[in-house]
Amino acid sequence: MSTTPPAPSDSSTPSNSNPSKTTTAGTLLPNDTFPFPREFFFPPFFTCQTNLTTHHAQLTKWSSLLLAYCRHHRLFRLSLNPDALPFHNPRINRRLAPGDIRRVVDFLRKDGRAEYVLPLGQTRKDGTMTTTARGGGEAGEGGEAFIYWRTPEEWGSLIEAWVEETGQRGSVLTVYELREGEGTRGTEIWGMDGDVLVKALGTVVKRGKAQIFQSGEDSLGVKFF
Amino acid sequence: MFLKNLDLTTALRPSYLPDEDLLFVQDNVGLYEGKYKLPNQQNGQVYLTSHRICYVDKTEPRKYSAALDLKDIERYEFYAGFLKSSPKITLVPKANKRASLQPLRNGNASPAQRVDSPFRAPPVDTPPASSATWVCTICSFSNPVPSNFDPTTASEHTTLPPCLACGIKPTLTHILKATISNATSRQPGGGPAIYPPLPDRSKQGSESTAPAAQTSPSPFQAADASASFQCPRCTFLNHPSLMSCEMCGGPLISNDLPAELMQQRRETDSPGPVLSSLAPKSEALESVKISFRGGGEKIFYERLKGSMTQRKWLLQGAPPIPKTSSNGLGVGSGSGGGAGGGGVGSAGGQPERVKIAGIAGLEQRGQSMRKNNEIVIGNAFEDLEALMASAKDIVALAETFARQVKGAGGASSGSENALLAESASQLGLIATKDIVGSGGGGDSLYLSELARTLAEFLTDDARGVLRKAGGIISLVDLWAMFNRLRGGVELVSPADFEKAVNLWDKLGLPVRLRTFKSGVKVVQGRDRTDETTIRALLAWMQDLHNFPPDREVAWDWREFGRGVTARDAAERFGWSIGVAEEELEMAEERGVLCREEGIEGLKFWENFIDTGEGASRTHSVKEDNERLMKALKESGFL
Repeated sequence: MSTTPPAPSDSSTPSNSNPSKTTTAGTLLPNDTFPFPREFFFPPFFTCQTNLTTHHAQLTKWSSLLLAYCRHHRLFRLSLNPDALPFHNPRINRRLAPGDIRRVVDFLRKDGRAEYVLPLGQTRKDGTMTTTARGGGEAGEGGEAFIYWRTPEEWGSLIEAWVEETGQRGSVLTVYELREGEGTRGTEIWGMDGDVLVKALGTVVKRGKAQIFQSGEDSLGVKFF
Repeated sequence: MFLKNLDLTTALRPSYLPDEDLLFVQDNVGLYEGKYKLPNQQNGQVYLTSHRICYVDKTEPRKYSAALDLKDIERYEFYAGFLKSSPKITLVPKANKRASLQPLRNGNASPAQRVDSPFRAPPVDTPPASSATWVCTICSFSNPVPSNFDPTTASEHTTLPPCLACGIKPTLTHILKATISNATSRQPGGGPAIYPPLPDRSKQGSESTAPAAQTSPSPFQAADASASFQCPRCTFLNHPSLMSCEMCGGPLISNDLPAELMQQRRETDSPGPVLSSLAPKSEALESVKISFRGGGEKIFYERLKGSMTQRKWLLQGAPPIPKTSSNGLGVGSGSGGGAGGGGVGSAGGQPERVKIAGIAGLEQRGQSMRKNNEIVIGNAFEDLEALMASAKDIVALAETFARQVKGAGGASSGSENALLAESASQLGLIATKDIVGSGGGGDSLYLSELARTLAEFLTDDARGVLRKAGGIISLVDLWAMFNRLRGGVELVSPADFEKAVNLWDKLGLPVRLRTFKSGVKVVQGRDRTDETTIRALLAWMQDLHNFPPDREVAWDWREFGRGVTARDAAERFGWSIGVAEEELEMAEERGVLCREEGIEGLKFWENFIDTGEGASRTHSVKEDNERLMKALKESGFL
């Protein structure tokens, strides 16, 4: 679901023996543009620590790493695959174990910055069936998670601001239009993940500034007040 | 008695002379000089060795410990105790020891205090040969005072002959008075006066009227002029430097007796008079008594008897016992006269040896040496007592063997052989249950002695046990090593060992026991703490930043250094693997190290994960909140 990043990509040196270019924020790996922080190259970073203080620090750093990574690549969902970036560092050949990945995601959930992605057709805790891939509380092996480097509330406020700017208050828009329409091209809303967008609109609805309705199969419309 | 100062080891036990064997230990003893308790030496342990009797004080061992050579003892007496007074052993010194007096305690002597106890014996070289007679109180028959009766050393335990007519034994005071009057009537002028130990001591020896007797002469002091000293009893004007009155023989108290000392004597709350202070004593040496408040006097007496008869201290400078050859030449190396019989050269002291040159000579020498070894070993091992006695020879033998084996074998077995060789010499100096008396509280004494032996064993620089183990050794290893050293004699059970080890803190010894979080117990020197260990670890890991690892590693070693396994730490510091693991985990708990579990196992790194940024992170969140509030306020929303 990720699109090409707006920033131009840098070229990085392909050699592995010498450390590649180090920006002020971190080190670049080949095939990636995200500047990884120093700890990412520290092998113990990938082992769950037993000392509680250290463990807390470890979780904190992992959380900020994931958020930054997703923000940089505009990833709305992250596959919790231990063999891929960012849970795997090819240069030092260390990876985070699935249990530890889950621990990090749980840590993010406490902050409200992540949610697991339940696959379609599963029963949620409250008994309802998942019709769309909405976030929930459980995840299977190597599932996915929404990483909210911007929370749905923030997205909602962003969308509202745009609606205000373009003077479309009172008009009806489809969700598709928001995502792929011409109006939003150039803003951050363009190319958003559908589920996240719907969630964001949900928060606006909660605040009473919009309303969502079904317009045709599989398409949703929203009206801003 | 000539009480000398005593050298103590680190574990506060007396340090032994070469060849000195420990025979007996007893705690809860006090020392007396003459009749007086030595004020600071009333609670301690007494060690009887083959050369000395050592007293180690419990409260301040380094200050108040004393020793006494067995060769200075002329005779010893046993008093079995009665009612409140505990059993005592009296040691009477040899009379003609005229060496200058040494103070019992360092630095406490103040020469300004010239206190003269009224009961101090005068300088006498020989007891006066008295032809005194004493009149029996019952039948008024005049009996001769026995010629060996010496009023200076007579005590309540001296045997007195009964009256020849009626058979009743007189009191000591009576005979003393008789001898005094006899002496004074014999020598009207100067001459050594004789002191009776004056006051009426009851035979039970509980009460002391010494303070009472002392205070009585004091009022007379004031009346003394500086030119002459008035005797308190007969008011005769004596020369001020005299210690006893010329007329009546009564004691003279010196002019400057400070009043506090009178108080001091009265304040003693235990039976028996107490010696109050230091003084340049007169040259007659008082007998020393050891009071056994915790039992053990009988065994002490037996062993003292044994060691006095054996007189081991004479052996110290003695030439080695010549091996008896078939010729039966006299003992001693002085016999240079006789020619050694046909080629049997002994390894001992005979200076004459028929030299046979060539291989035959070498062979014969080897043969004779072997024969001697055989004789020595045979004699020694027949009897355990004899073994202890001939320990010196056995040790020499063991050392020669060890040297031979060491030369042949590799270097690794050298240390083991050294241990084996030394084990023989330890036979005499270990604290066994046998040596320590079985009096009351014997178990605790055994344990405290064991604890001290262990501490000495650990801190012994020659052996370097603690040093070789990197300064820290696990309790189990120590127990194994210690028992191996005992060589199968008097092994220590783990329970006793643990109890002894727990006493270390209480006794104030320089090693301590430390229990890790996982329950592993280790022994280390007192000065090693967690902080010092952590500092050492960090310093080492910092060094790893500077030296590249042996093989190519994927991470930036310049920045992060290298992970260390428990094995690396053990190698570097000389610890055992278990100890190294525990130390690393302890450092991890402190947050100094962090762990990494990889294919190669568990490694520890410097903690670059938690570098204190957690605190700053919360701070930055707070800052964001504040900024938000400020912005809202400005734009008028709040």
